[in-house]
Amino acid sequence: MNVKGPEILFEIPVLGGIPITETIFNGWLVVAAISIVCFFLGRNLSVRNPSKRQIVAEKLVLTLSGLVENTMGKNNMFFLPYIGALFSYSILSSLSGLLGLRAPTGDINTTVGFALIAFFLIQFFNIKNKGVLGWLKGFTEPVAFLTPLNIISEIANPISMAFRHFGNIASGIVITGLIYGALAGLSKVVLGWIPVIGSIPFLQAGLPAILSIYFDVFTSFLQAYIISMLTMVYVGSANEANQ
Amino acid sequence: MEKFQEFVAIAPWTMIFTWVNLIILVLIMKKLLFKPVLNMLAARDKEVNEMYSKAETAQSSAEALEKEYSEKLSLAKEEAAKIMKDAKHDATLRGEEIVGEAKKEASAILEKAQKEIEREKEAAINEIKGDIANIAVDIAQKVIEKDLHEKDHERLVEEFIDGWGEDK
Repeated sequence: MNVKGPEILFEIPVLGGIPITETIFNGWLVVAAISIVCFFLGRNLSVRNPSKRQIVAEKLVLTLSGLVENTMGKNNMFFLPYIGALFSYSILSSLSGLLGLRAPTGDINTTVGFALIAFFLIQFFNIKNKGVLGWLKGFTEPVAFLTPLNIISEIANPISMAFRHFGNIASGIVITGLIYGALAGLSKVVLGWIPVIGSIPFLQAGLPAILSIYFDVFTSFLQAYIISMLTMVYVGSANEANQ
Repeated sequence: MEKFQEFVAIAPWTMIFTWVNLIILVLIMKKLLFKPVLNMLAARDKEVNEMYSKAETAQSSAEALEKEYSEKLSLAKEEAAKIMKDAKHDATLRGEEIVGEAKKEASAILEKAQKEIEREKEAAINEIKGDIANIAVDIAQKVIEKDLHEKDHERLVEEFIDGWGEDK
């Protein structure tokens, strides 16, 4: 079997053709889904006697804002919407694999996109807080000959973030595909001699569902948490309150 | 014919769309979820704080009132005790006065009675003296049968009886 990238659904014929891939299209679906959920959660809020829906909304916002405050500090609370967007976009993208969609986070470009935002935010706040010279000088610390290593580690951060997330989700896609292929083959060998029933790959039911609890559900939560946490830690330490 | 991208390949447009998606999502989540919920939480905090301060004000005024009333109550009790004491004192004085007056009156009555008795006694003595004198004169006339001047007789007998009555 072939391990393919995202399918190109269509091309917008401007600027030499913009390819709209499954990743982009599913990303729009995820944005739409999150928007609808936010619309229902953030509607008709009351100060007294909150509804169950409002309690859920409050719990979500308070949990997330507590996490942002603890990790990034009070001065970085304006990142709350971005962290919320990143976490929900990441997790719903990964979970969309359960619906048979190709997960946007299973595309290296999505996760590199996440990581580059963090990378540029880190550099922006370092320059803003230390000045350009202070930022450049920061690479020569603690001793000058470590400068190449400092630069490599600075670049390695977003790369490792991007590949960790991509690798986990994409490997889930690959492994699920392999298991389906293998089970189809096994089905053919075991049941293939029966006239009509033999053409239905019965063995594909069951095992993939159990495996997808790990490869899709657990990994989705974990990777969304990790990328949000790393973004918060790196950006937060680049923009500390006492600087 | 279905076209696929490479499994691992840089596709700038996908990255750009990811950024656009994230920016849109940030704006939508901020507008629809974070802002309303955080505003509501701030309003709730404000309301709770207002309630607390109201409750504190009410409590302190209630305590002040309680203090005032207890002070008034103790004052009233003191006054009542004072009034009772005064009344008792007055009553005692009045009672003593009444008793004193009664005693005085009684003694006055007694004195008057004694004087009356004295006078009656004197009158009785005088009367008896007169009677005795007359009887004595009558007896003397009868015994002596001598024609003496009645006035002289009476004087003689009175002198006698006076001496006798005083001895007695």
